[in-house]
Amino acid sequence: MNTITLGMRNAFRNATRSLSIIIILGLSIGLSLTMLIAHQAVGQKIADAKSSIGNTITIAPAGFSQFSQANNSLTTDQLTKVQSLQHVTNVTETLTDRLTTIGSAQPSFGKFGGSSTSTNNQTSLKSPVNINTNSKSGSGMHVFINGGSGSLPSNFSPPISIVGTNDPQNLGNLASGSGTITITSGKYINGTSDTNDAMVSQSMASKNNLKVGSTFTAYGKTLTVTGIYKSSTQAGANDVIVSLPAEQRLSGQSGDVTNAVATVDSVDNLSSVTTAIRNTLGSNADVTNSQDAVNQTIEPLNSVKNIAFYSLIGAIIAGSVIILLTMIMIVRERRREIGILKAIGASNTRVIFQFMSEAVTLTIAGAVIGIIIGVIGGNPVTNTLVTNASNSANTSTTQTMDSGNFGARGRMGMSANGGGNFTARPTTGSGFFGRNTNSLRNSISNVKANVGWSILAWGLGAAVLIAIVGSAFAGWLIARVRPSEVMRAE
Amino acid sequence: MLKVKDLSRTFQSGDVKVAAVDGISFEVPDGQFASIIGKSGSGKTTLLSLLGTLEKPTGGHIEIDDKDVTDLSDHALVDYRRKKIGFVFQAYNLIPNLTALENVMLPLSFEGVHGDDRKKRATELLKQVGITADQMDRKPGRLSGGQQQRVAIARALANKPSLILADEPTGNLDSETGKMIFDLLHNLAKTQNTTIIVVTHDLTIAGKTDKSFRLQDGKLVS
Repeated sequence: MNTITLGMRNAFRNATRSLSIIIILGLSIGLSLTMLIAHQAVGQKIADAKSSIGNTITIAPAGFSQFSQANNSLTTDQLTKVQSLQHVTNVTETLTDRLTTIGSAQPSFGKFGGSSTSTNNQTSLKSPVNINTNSKSGSGMHVFINGGSGSLPSNFSPPISIVGTNDPQNLGNLASGSGTITITSGKYINGTSDTNDAMVSQSMASKNNLKVGSTFTAYGKTLTVTGIYKSSTQAGANDVIVSLPAEQRLSGQSGDVTNAVATVDSVDNLSSVTTAIRNTLGSNADVTNSQDAVNQTIEPLNSVKNIAFYSLIGAIIAGSVIILLTMIMIVRERRREIGILKAIGASNTRVIFQFMSEAVTLTIAGAVIGIIIGVIGGNPVTNTLVTNASNSANTSTTQTMDSGNFGARGRMGMSANGGGNFTARPTTGSGFFGRNTNSLRNSISNVKANVGWSILAWGLGAAVLIAIVGSAFAGWLIARVRPSEVMRAE
Repeated sequence: MLKVKDLSRTFQSGDVKVAAVDGISFEVPDGQFASIIGKSGSGKTTLLSLLGTLEKPTGGHIEIDDKDVTDLSDHALVDYRRKKIGFVFQAYNLIPNLTALENVMLPLSFEGVHGDDRKKRATELLKQVGITADQMDRKPGRLSGGQQQRVAIARALANKPSLILADEPTGNLDSETGKMIFDLLHNLAKTQNTTIIVVTHDLTIAGKTDKSFRLQDGKLVS
């Protein structure tokens, strides 16, 4: 019979005591595992939250908002400096303008933030947006008439947005963008090529009987449809997308950009790059990222993660103390037996290994119970911790989120003749960051704890660690037992 | 041959130094059966511990088969004890959760004897001391005192030691069983040429051994 087998058998010499020890250890290891599961699940959720918010920074002209109509713009030269900053992998630039339909009655439009000097911002296209001028609600788009006293002309056609971009495939990154677009016919335009090619939405194409290869006019020039897209937003359906150089030329805004989104190589660098961009652009731009809002949203998760971590450490220490005291008790009870083993030729190392084997056997048996507890309790405990933490933090988070400037609604603003103001709000009308952080806030309380092989391996590892730590002092006691004590016991 | 020269062992008891063994010298040739007698507190058990290398002397030398064991390191002593010395205790001191067979296999396991050889050797020894096959698979709690002492003797013989030290081996047994155990040890000394030293109160037993030493206050008086 080898040392390990002997130790394993000794673990069950006293069935009642062994069972008690195993149950107590099982609870301790179960608590450790539950906390480990919670820690990992919450950690994963935090990582997911950070990654879901993206690694982008929005750059807008200083003082610009959808409604302020500030007559500022960024320039391509400024954004070239941004592009050269460390950790910036891409800068998507857009220049947005509005086109009115030739022959449409003309409400008094303000500029949309750019500094267009063109007086010929008209197009042959008609907007696919239908507005019932006798009602405060439109078809396909909600319309709010503020001020109430004005009315729209009967031959009024809503304006059309023309978006010049250097990256037509990533418009979804833009706070005022066209959402996610998918080409359904034709191809994407080349965002850096100064050609009169354009992409229009399916709705726009349908309204104006356009197909790939068709032409229309804008700014007095003829543009060719090279792609028809499907937009994820209704606002995007009212867009015409051309290349950035083309829009700068057509609108007479050479070098101007109304909006840019910088992509950073890692979310970890978001904060430092935001600061760098602010330093680069100075007071010319408002530079914002979603990190602060996200950090506030995930704060409850960080608390839970910390609680889980410290509870994990506490449970491991408790388990170690339990096995330590157990082994001390066992060694004290069996001093005579230790003396016998030494007297008949067992070395200190061998006896210590035998008792360590006994401790490991007890803890592994406890680990089996602990793993069952962890598997059953991991998810409910995690959810309880997260829900409680989320609820306690929800009020302050909500207030902060709603008062932030990320929730700007809509992307069309105008003054209508007659003094009535209206805002056409797309269905997905909340702002980009507001949308994402609200969604994130709602999702953080829904943490799913998964118990995988790695968790089980950690559990067993913790059990072995507990056994080794717990039996270390017992080993020292064993080494101090002199074989002659077996004679004294006579 | 066991040679003991000026062996002493002192303990500090408060401010007083107590000599449990005080300058003892004697020799026991191979294959002899010797006894040590003396009153309680005379130093018998301490002497046995010293002879068994369970304790180190504070003075003097012990030679077993011409090897001085008093200067060996702790690690070497463990090795030496396993190979050269067998113990038989008054309370048998078998491991309670192991069977008789497993108890005898234990020192063989420490010596590195492999599975089948270990079992074969242990079975032979148990048969030799009169333990039946049925009794071999019993744990000590299910054996009589005499049977347990036989198992203890088999365990002491496992690694073919040069010296067997028995501390009151018949102390917990009735006189008839005690006589049987004594005869067993006596035969082993003769048949296996093993030196056996028995500590006993029983003057009848002492009178039948090849040599007998009387201890008084840590000193050999006869």
